[in-house]
Amino acid sequence: MKRIRIARCGTQLLAPPSPRRPLCPHVVRFQKTITLHNYRIQSRLQSTAAAREASNFEIESIVEEVESSANDFPSSTWTSPRHTPLELLPSPHPSAALKSAKLAALRSRLSLPPRFPLQTLARTLIHPSADPDPTFNNGSLSILGANLLGYYTTEHILCNYPRLPMSVVFAAQWAYIGPKALATVASEWGIEAAAEPGGEIDPGLLQFKRLRSGDDLPTLLKGKQAPWKWNVTMTNKILKSDEFGSTASRPDAQQLQGMPVPIEEAAQSFVRALIGSLYLHLGRPLTKRFFRDHFLSRHLDMDKLFDFRTPTRDLSRLCAREGFEAPVARLISETGRHSNHPVFIVGVYSGKDKLGEGAGSSLNEARIRAAAAALKAWYLYKPLEVTVPSSTEGEVDTSKWKPNMVDCGEVIV
Amino acid sequence: MSTCKTAIRISAKAPRITILPLIQRRHESSARRHKKLLHLPQAPSYAPDRSAPSLIFNPPSSSPNVYHTPLKFLPKDDKRRTLYQTALNLSTHAALRRSTSAIATSGTPLTTSSHLPPRPSATLPPPVRAPYEKKYHLADKEIEEIRRLRLSDPDKWTRARLAEKFGCSQFFVGLVVKSHEKAERVEAEHERMRTRWGARRRAAREDRSRRKEMWGRDE
Repeated sequence: MKRIRIARCGTQLLAPPSPRRPLCPHVVRFQKTITLHNYRIQSRLQSTAAAREASNFEIESIVEEVESSANDFPSSTWTSPRHTPLELLPSPHPSAALKSAKLAALRSRLSLPPRFPLQTLARTLIHPSADPDPTFNNGSLSILGANLLGYYTTEHILCNYPRLPMSVVFAAQWAYIGPKALATVASEWGIEAAAEPGGEIDPGLLQFKRLRSGDDLPTLLKGKQAPWKWNVTMTNKILKSDEFGSTASRPDAQQLQGMPVPIEEAAQSFVRALIGSLYLHLGRPLTKRFFRDHFLSRHLDMDKLFDFRTPTRDLSRLCAREGFEAPVARLISETGRHSNHPVFIVGVYSGKDKLGEGAGSSLNEARIRAAAAALKAWYLYKPLEVTVPSSTEGEVDTSKWKPNMVDCGEVIV
Repeated sequence: MSTCKTAIRISAKAPRITILPLIQRRHESSARRHKKLLHLPQAPSYAPDRSAPSLIFNPPSSSPNVYHTPLKFLPKDDKRRTLYQTALNLSTHAALRRSTSAIATSGTPLTTSSHLPPRPSATLPPPVRAPYEKKYHLADKEIEEIRRLRLSDPDKWTRARLAEKFGCSQFFVGLVVKSHEKAERVEAEHERMRTRWGARRRAAREDRSRRKEMWGRDE
């Protein structure tokens, strides 16, 4: 198998593939005047500013078309990008990324290696609402990054807590890589937003078209809510919706072209795009390390995500299902029974084993809290040795792989 | 506790019997009560028996961590099962070897237990509610009878009365038959009563239900 050259991946990412070198001598002359590097700049000029008869010149056009048009197209009419006013560009030119102090600072702040190009880092900061051109905005990268983030987080949660109920898994996903979490991560990285996108501003700023304060969210971002009468089941959420189990699906990045968006939307698309571009430029191990350092390192109290409505009933169903003795609440200690502020400590026992313990100011409260604690102790079981599936990707030696525990599922009453 | 018993109680009201001069005597008063009696010996867990530095682990009592899975909830092949068993055996052996007899220990009351962890076979605390066995004794015929009685006269045959008559729980009666007409009537009556609540009672009731929801969230 041939090794893929990462440097080449980077250039492919930056620019559309250059056409094959033409054989016609006229085209050679044509190629000399417009170098390959400037090729996409010209196509950009035509699409945004220059309205000439040659404006239907397409990047993807085959070489023969280029040959035919080269004859009646004098090369002197092409303007060099150096003379183009920067204000006409929708987003900063990629070459400006090398001169931006903000980008270099961001790269070293995130401890990214120098082989991660600044141009790509600049591209991840451009939201489709600022630049509709898919070769210059971060739409494609953020799709890749969203999938990677979802994959790594899901496998981390499911392998470490195999018994979690599905609603808690969704809540944990939302807490780790939900839109709000990603926007927070971006602001912690020190990302600043540009007031208005444009070609002349620093590429180290987050470029997007701002939603004016007081304006309503675009309907795409609001998403479709199911009618309140509909019973959206967990099965439907697992099968049909995204990794957060939300009924509203994430809008396609390209649909947001030119649409004013809130800063959270742009910030989260930047974080996703950064993960995607890290994966393309640096490869899987470094991306996983980056994910571990910046996302898994965030502390999440899993036991705070539970909300039991009938814990005592759930616990007795659980004990019946697993073949344990029926749970019995026992009063471990109490104080001030006849006072204003009594405290009871109740433990839930199955046979002679204590399953959970709870304290409350009434016997009922302590009993219900103890049952909830016992249910949490069941659901928050954590295996000692965990091998996530992505750690064995691309490895021939499978001896390190240990099959993960798969539980039979949550208690259904 | 040793106390200093006074020979004579001095009282202003009491008639003086003797003609001896009035001597001030010191009773079990402030100094002894506040200083000497409260000078308790160190707890045995804080007083290591060796002079060499040792680790003292004496955490404050708090609610147990939910991340510590109970032994019963561990899967069959989990290593922690054997680890827990080994730890329990070791601590039991160590405690038995090191423990002095409760009477010989200085400063501890006779009822003090030793360092032994509570054994699983120890007597369990009393149950909060009387435990009961499910009887499953009602057949289809009785269930039909429950249905008939409840629907014929829901005011006379309430859930409580039916549960008493058939020896089952009120919840089970509710499962078997629901009298919607009566439920609506009772709910309307409750609603009427609720409209007569004042602001304070309403706030108190709402707070109570909100607190009750917090039980399941462990807040």
